Amino acid sequence: MISQYRGISPKADLILIQRLAEKFHDRSFLHVNSTKAGGGVAEILQRMLPIIESLGIAARWEVIQGDERFFEITKKIHNALQGTPERITKQMWQHHFEVNKNNLAKLNLDADAVLIHDPQPAPLVEFRGDGVWISRCHIDVSNPVEPVYRHLSRYFEKYDAIIFSVARFARALSIDEFIITPCIDPLSEKNRELTDEEVSEVMERLGVPTDRPIILQVSRFDRFKDPVGVIEAYRMVKKYDDCILVLAGSPATDDPEGEAVLDEVREFTADDLDVHILLLPPFSDRDINALQRAAHVVLQKSLKEGFGLTVAEAMWKGKAVIGGAVGGIPLQILHGANGFLVHSIEGTAFRIRQLLSNPDLAKTMGDKGREYVRVNFLITRQIRDYLSVWYALEHRGQSMLNV
Amino acid sequence: MNTQTVQSFDFRACISVLKSTGKKARNLRELRDIISVVSEDCLFHHTYQYFLKGHVLEYTSDFAHWAGESLEERALAERLANIDPYDLGSIDAVRRALVKVIDDYLLHFPEPREALAGDEFYFNETVSLVFPVGVRVKNLAEFLAAIKYVDAASIYYHFFEARMRLGSGKDDFSSWMDETLGKTELALKVRSIDPFMHSLEDIRRHVADAVEKVVRKEMEVFTP
Repeated sequence: MISQYRGISPKADLILIQRLAEKFHDRSFLHVNSTKAGGGVAEILQRMLPIIESLGIAARWEVIQGDERFFEITKKIHNALQGTPERITKQMWQHHFEVNKNNLAKLNLDADAVLIHDPQPAPLVEFRGDGVWISRCHIDVSNPVEPVYRHLSRYFEKYDAIIFSVARFARALSIDEFIITPCIDPLSEKNRELTDEEVSEVMERLGVPTDRPIILQVSRFDRFKDPVGVIEAYRMVKKYDDCILVLAGSPATDDPEGEAVLDEVREFTADDLDVHILLLPPFSDRDINALQRAAHVVLQKSLKEGFGLTVAEAMWKGKAVIGGAVGGIPLQILHGANGFLVHSIEGTAFRIRQLLSNPDLAKTMGDKGREYVRVNFLITRQIRDYLSVWYALEHRGQSMLNV
Repeated sequence: MNTQTVQSFDFRACISVLKSTGKKARNLRELRDIISVVSEDCLFHHTYQYFLKGHVLEYTSDFAHWAGESLEERALAERLANIDPYDLGSIDAVRRALVKVIDDYLLHFPEPREALAGDEFYFNETVSLVFPVGVRVKNLAEFLAAIKYVDAASIYYHFFEARMRLGSGKDDFSSWMDETLGKTELALKVRSIDPFMHSLEDIRRHVADAVEKVVRKEMEVFTP
C-alpha cells in the first residue's frame, strides 16, 4: 500500500518508513481511542493502520466502551482542556477511571508500542505493560482549565512520552514531548485527483455557476469561522470583481449558537443570488474536493482555530489560501509565499482582489502551497513520525540515530 | 560514506522529529535567561536547523525570526540574524553570541514589549534519524544526476549537518570531490557556497551548476 504514495510523498519519507518497518518487522503497534467512526482521529486511523500493517508491523486498533455518563464526563474534560470553564468532580474522575478499568476485560493491551489517543482512554496507562506507551493529545491545550489539566497530567506522567499537534500546546512535563502536526491523505475521496468532468458534475448538481471566479470557504457555521466577515469581504470585492461566493459546510450541531449563525448568514445574504450557502450532509468528501478544485480563491477566515486542516486540503489542490492568522493556520500558510495571512475583513478583501487580479501570482503561490503540503502535511509524514518516535523511545538519550 | 569502493559516494538523508522542551519565553529577558541554560540540542535546532524549514530567508535563526515578527524589535532581529553559527563553529559559542547581543540590546532598550498570548517563543529540539537513501555514485557525472534527484533531506545532511559532524566547516560533497576524486578546484568552488545565505534548493542548484561545468568541460573532446 505504501507504494501507492510513490511519486506523491517525499522519497526520503518513504525510504525512512521502510527502514523503520524493517526494524519493527512483526512487532506490535496498538492504537486505542474511544470511537471507531466519526471525528478526525478515527478518520485518519482508518486510513493509516492498513498502511502500517502492510509494512509488516502488527498494527491493531482497540476502542474503549463507555456508558452515557462516561461520554458526558469526557466531553466536559475535552471542553475544559480547550479552555471552557468546567468542573470535574471527584466522583466524575472516579467514573472516568472505573470505566477504563472495566474495559480491561475486553481489551488486549499487550503490544510493543501503544498509542493512546486523547483523554478518554488516558487512565489505561495505570495498567500498562512493558512496551513503549505514548499518549497522543489531539486537542488544543494551550489554555486549559488548570485543575482538569493537572489531574490528567498525573496520567500523562506515567507514559513514556506524549505527542502534541502544535508546539505551543506542549507544557512542562517530566516525560518526552514530541510535536507531530495533523495530516491529510492525498488518496482519500476528499483529496484525490478529480477529472474536469467530475468537478463539473458536482458544480452542476450543487447549482454553483462556473462562469465567474469562485471564492470559497468550507467550514462549520459557527462564529469562530466568521462567515459574516467572509460575506462582508466578498461585498467589498464585488465592487471591483464580478465573482461568486460559496460557503459550504454543516451546522455546528454541538454548538447551541450554530442554528442562529446559519440564520444570520442566510438573512444577511437573502437578496444576493451570487452567494451560495451549501449545507452538505456528512460524507460529502467528493463534493468538497470538487468545490476546492473549482474555486479561484479559498478562504479560511477563522477567528479561532484548532489546526485548520481545510487549509492544507485546499493548498494540496494548488490553491492560494487566505487564512486568519490563528491556531495552526500560520503553520500552513507562509505569508506572502504560499498564501496570505489576514487579520481583518478589509485585509481579506484586499488579498482576494490581489489574487483575482493576478492569476499568475495565485498560480505561483498555489504551486508553492501544494509543495509545502507535500513535504509537511501528508499521511506518510505522520506514519514516518509515529514510527520515528517509537524508534527514538527505544534509543533514549540519543539525539542523532542511525537507522 | 565510501562503503563499497574507494570512490563511491553514498547519499544519506537526515529527517528530524520535533520535541518540545516545555519551556517558553514571553519577552526578551525570558528568552535570554532560557537561551543561557537550554540544551545544546535546543540551540542547535533553533539556529543550525533553521535552514531545514524552508523559510523565506529574511532571518537566519528562529530567535531573529521571533524578535522581528513577534516582538517587532527590528534592530535586534537584524543583529541576531547576523550571528553565523557556521562561522562560530560550536554551539557554546553560538549561545554566548546570542546572550551578548540580547544583553547589549537590553542595556539600551531595557523594556522591550511582551509577545501576544499564543505568540511566545517555544523552545524545541529534535531527534534526527540518519539513513542511506539507496543512491550511490562513483563519478561526477553520476553525482550530477543524483544531486538533482535526491530529496532536500539529503542536501541538508551532506551540506549543512556535515559542517558540525566533521567539525571542520567542510561539507561531505566538497570533501569527497577533493579527497577521493582529486578535484580540488571544484571542491573549493562548492565549499565557497555560503550555507548561511541560501535555501536547500538554492544549494542544490549551485552545487549542480558547479559540477555540471566540470562534467561538460571534461566530456568535450574538441573545443572550437
